[in-house]
Amino acid sequence: MASYLIRRLLIGIPVLLGVTVINFFIINLAPGSPADLYLSPTATPEDVARTEAELGLNQPIFVQYVRWLTQLLHGDLGVSFQNREPVAQLIGDRIGPTLLLMGTSLVVAYLIAIPIGIFAARRKNTAADYSVVGASFLGISVPHFFLGLAVIYLFALQFGWFPTGGMLTLGRGGGFVDRVEHLVLPVTVLATAIAANMVRYVRSSMIDAFGQDYIRTARAKGLGGFTITNKHALRNALIPVVTVIGVDLSALIGGAIVTEQIFQWPGIGLLTIQSIGSRDYSVLMGINLIAAIAVFAANLLTDVAYAVVDPRVAYA
Amino acid sequence: MSAVTIAPRRRRRLRTVLIAPMTAGVLLAAAACSGDAGSGGAGDTLYIGTVNPPASFNPINQADIAGQWATRFAMDTLLDQPEPLKFIPKLAESIETTDNKTFTVKMHTGAKWSDSKPITAKDVVFTINLIANKDSLTTLGGNISSLTGVDATGKLPKGQTKVPGLLAKDDSTVVFATKTSVDPNYIKEMLGTKVVIVPEHVLGSIPPAQVDDSKYAQLPDVTSGPYKFTKYTQNASIEYAADPTYYAGAPKIAKVIMKIMPAANLAGELQTGSVLMNSGGGIGNIPFQDLKTVQGLKDVNTKVNPTIGFQTIQFNVKRFPDPRMRLGLAHAINRQQIVDELLLGNGEVVDGPYTSQSPYLDKGLKNLTYDPALAKKLLTDAGWDFATKINFVVPTGNKIRERSADIMLQNFKAIGLNVVQTNYDFPTTLSKARAKDHDMVLMGLNFNIDPDVSNMYASTGSFNLTGYNSKQSDQMLEAGKAEPNTAARHKIYNDLQKLWQTDLPVLTLYSDHAVASTNKAIAVGGAAPFWNGTVATVGQWAFEGAN
Repeated sequence: MASYLIRRLLIGIPVLLGVTVINFFIINLAPGSPADLYLSPTATPEDVARTEAELGLNQPIFVQYVRWLTQLLHGDLGVSFQNREPVAQLIGDRIGPTLLLMGTSLVVAYLIAIPIGIFAARRKNTAADYSVVGASFLGISVPHFFLGLAVIYLFALQFGWFPTGGMLTLGRGGGFVDRVEHLVLPVTVLATAIAANMVRYVRSSMIDAFGQDYIRTARAKGLGGFTITNKHALRNALIPVVTVIGVDLSALIGGAIVTEQIFQWPGIGLLTIQSIGSRDYSVLMGINLIAAIAVFAANLLTDVAYAVVDPRVAYA
Repeated sequence: MSAVTIAPRRRRRLRTVLIAPMTAGVLLAAAACSGDAGSGGAGDTLYIGTVNPPASFNPINQADIAGQWATRFAMDTLLDQPEPLKFIPKLAESIETTDNKTFTVKMHTGAKWSDSKPITAKDVVFTINLIANKDSLTTLGGNISSLTGVDATGKLPKGQTKVPGLLAKDDSTVVFATKTSVDPNYIKEMLGTKVVIVPEHVLGSIPPAQVDDSKYAQLPDVTSGPYKFTKYTQNASIEYAADPTYYAGAPKIAKVIMKIMPAANLAGELQTGSVLMNSGGGIGNIPFQDLKTVQGLKDVNTKVNPTIGFQTIQFNVKRFPDPRMRLGLAHAINRQQIVDELLLGNGEVVDGPYTSQSPYLDKGLKNLTYDPALAKKLLTDAGWDFATKINFVVPTGNKIRERSADIMLQNFKAIGLNVVQTNYDFPTTLSKARAKDHDMVLMGLNFNIDPDVSNMYASTGSFNLTGYNSKQSDQMLEAGKAEPNTAARHKIYNDLQKLWQTDLPVLTLYSDHAVASTNKAIAVGGAAPFWNGTVATVGQWAFEGAN
């Protein structure tokens, strides 16, 4: 197991390096200069050239990359083109809200998906099962932006139950209730997609489990339906479901970008969109690197978790 | 069978794995919820909805209007301009001249920085010298370019650090001189209302080249305006607290918070009361499709005001060397349709660089009509080959402008022109336009009330994207800048508008109005009809019922 982990970590280094190379060159392929965004339209060519020199954009692209990488190896993600703030600080300020949003969404999604998945599996091929499957397809198919706008229209504008956006009421300190109120709508949007997907995994996994010999044995022993479902079937059925957490994380990051933009949630997703708009290359590189590390780590942890919950799985 | 035998151990592991992320989520929630309970009273904070985040808070290097607007809540200029050509005192009591060449600034006595140090004439001299310094990064060079000793970009020769003739006679008097006679209103607007004064005791020890990178430039902590910056969350919100020692009187609203959001969210936020006004102007306009919604809100007053900003087509004069070609293209465009259908009537067709809000608009000028037959004739007479491909560059970001390009494309096709439209993001568009890698490019502009538009029309103008090079226009622009008499200036700019209407290097398309919505809880405040003057009265804004 240890050697497997070390091997995976070592493989991760060239993978992450490759991700940074591809990102850096794709970002810099865009025509036009970011300097134009940071100067008045009436700026002289000398001003543009000077700003480009200050941002290091006058260097050949590979020199820029090597300089960025050298900085990174010294633990420095550089400074934002836009306002000269350290990228690490910018990301540090935004990562908490994103983790809160993603973490809560994940928990809520699983709390919804697991019981509904079991419910559908126990009523396989009935109207209730078809309704759950249909609803889950709908949940997967509805784009985040549409669902986001729909819940804002209904629950913020029409009913006035929740705020339209933000993480807390600015200037009021943000008490517990205030923060929960701000969380409800974005979590609803993010959790819907994850739960809709997860319901299908839980359902099929439970149907498989119900067909196993040990369930028949449990029934033969005279155990009740509740015990069979929750003590025997569910615990085994959840093993493949655990592996989906890693896949969900990538989907969550993608979903968070859209959701944070719609709800003005001050997290990494909103920072990403705004950095694209302002051509803030150094911030974009920092975000890409963090996202790549997060996905890599999640996949690694999923593999480890799989081995932990199922001793039949052994890595060498 | 083996699965059953190992089940107890696996159950424990499985439980651990499942409980871990849930616990983490709950802990995260708990950590995030550890802030203070709500502390601000309902009536002590003004929430403003705005769309564009500021590019910078450096008071002397503001590339965008959003930055200028945000900075002006905390930093004062010498004068303010609540209405076109109306100036009121701020840090200066007055800016006077007797010969239109030598100007005397009388400072407000008793004005203090937020750290209690006095704001004096030396700060004004320091600010102007800093802007003029060859090493400083600034967007205000053009505003001081009429002063003696600086070049057309407002910069001193390398190595020189002081503008000749600029001096602090005493703590409350500044004197400076201009190269030629100038209209005092030009100085009052360009230097008086646009140059934000910065503190010498804070920035004096920083080399000019490093001011833009300084901590101060990231968010000034020593300010002169009615409010002090308290927090900026990049691209999300700007928070201010009133400065009770403000020299013009303590502000009546304790806190101001600008919430940065997509334009589409503004109407909803106004409806729920999450914001009490929008910033308006070009940086926080409510989309016209939401206008009826906000007009229907019983707690909100909404006004639609004309602006001085406008959209243009910048022709590449080399590609269309005969003015008849450019006129032909202009007559092919149905600008009224753009105003009616895209702006829903909330705008005006503009001919020339002055909108109805400018006192320098020549109202007698005949508009370029929509006349496809005339367009075709002019182009044919000028020898234009209709099979020639015309490269039409459109910047993304402004949805109405993008859709206006679609209408224009149809207009061009209707008379048989071969126009190919390409959309790029703004920096790419600007790079292409500067390199003259376009035949026609759409560009939005926002000048001053002062009529000088040399940047765009002068052959050496830094924003001359057309390659227009007319001796007559250059001479008249110079004469216009140097003419101190207001009536004579009107005559010069009327003549220039006629000349540009004939040469047409730039076709002005339309000016969209600004939607200013203000909650009725605000008794004084909100976006002003002359938007540039909105910041003039920020310190006096008050909620209903305030003393």
